[in-house]
Amino acid sequence: MDLAIRAIVLYAFVFFLTRVVGRRELSSLQPFDLILLIVLGDSIQQGLTQDDYSVTGALIVVGMIAALQVGTSYLSFRVPRLRPVLDGLPIVVIEDGKPIQKNLHRERISVEELTEEMRQQQIASLDEVQWAVLETSGAISFIKKSDS
Amino acid sequence: MAEPPDAIDLGRDRDLRGRRKDVWVRRSLLALVALVPVLALFNLFGQRPTTSNASVPAATLSVYAPTTLRGGLLWEGRIHITAHREIKNAILVLSTGWAEGMSINTIEPSPTGEASDNGRLEFTLGHIPQNKSFILYMQFQVNPTNVGHRSRSTTLYDGKTELAAVHQKVTIFP
Repeated sequence: MDLAIRAIVLYAFVFFLTRVVGRRELSSLQPFDLILLIVLGDSIQQGLTQDDYSVTGALIVVGMIAALQVGTSYLSFRVPRLRPVLDGLPIVVIEDGKPIQKNLHRERISVEELTEEMRQQQIASLDEVQWAVLETSGAISFIKKSDS
Repeated sequence: MAEPPDAIDLGRDRDLRGRRKDVWVRRSLLALVALVPVLALFNLFGQRPTTSNASVPAATLSVYAPTTLRGGLLWEGRIHITAHREIKNAILVLSTGWAEGMSINTIEPSPTGEASDNGRLEFTLGHIPQNKSFILYMQFQVNPTNVGHRSRSTTLYDGKTELAAVHQKVTIFP
């Protein structure tokens, strides 16, 4: 029973953490972020199963996490009012080639970071961008101007 | 002005109408998360040991052990007896809070006798000459399912005469 409770508590904590840390931190996978992610996973695993090496224990934990994940996703699908809380909302960060500073500031994104993202999507200049939207996943979508 | 992408509401997603407070909610929650390790630095979640003493004319009994623990932790309890006068037959009686839900890895030096005193652990240590010390080292590991508060008392006897007692409350976090 305690394994299932631990899985619920840690799932809720990780979910909560990913929502409050900010989407950009989670979507950019720099080498350091990758190491942090592994350390995070390892720390959680120890608290989750502790000294339980059994197959039954693994089944309980994995089953509970899968059920919670499906449950959260179902809740988000069925209850649109919960979507902003569970998934977040997109934010427009460029309009008509001009970065929207207050929105970038809010998400701790610099213009340099934004232009780096643009280059990765083969966009050379801000002038080519009609809209850029920071998605709930943390990725930035760029929509080019129709004439570019 | 170009049309925004589908499902993008400029009022909500560009001008952040109705979303101004969101960022402060997020920052407050993040501060709450950061508060946990800060509290940990102040030993709120263990396992820094503390010393509890009981001193009587016959002896001083000191218990050096953490009073806050977490599931799975390895920890040490050190019981220090200083005899101010000769103790002919020192007996330590430990309440169930010492052993309940704990793996007892070792007790050194091994008591000359072990028994149960109405459910409590009774360790016979033997003779302690005047002005000499006896230190009992006990190594434990907290069982992961052992969560909550427990009272932990340590009582020193000389034969059947109670000399000193130390009472502690232990909190075990999951």
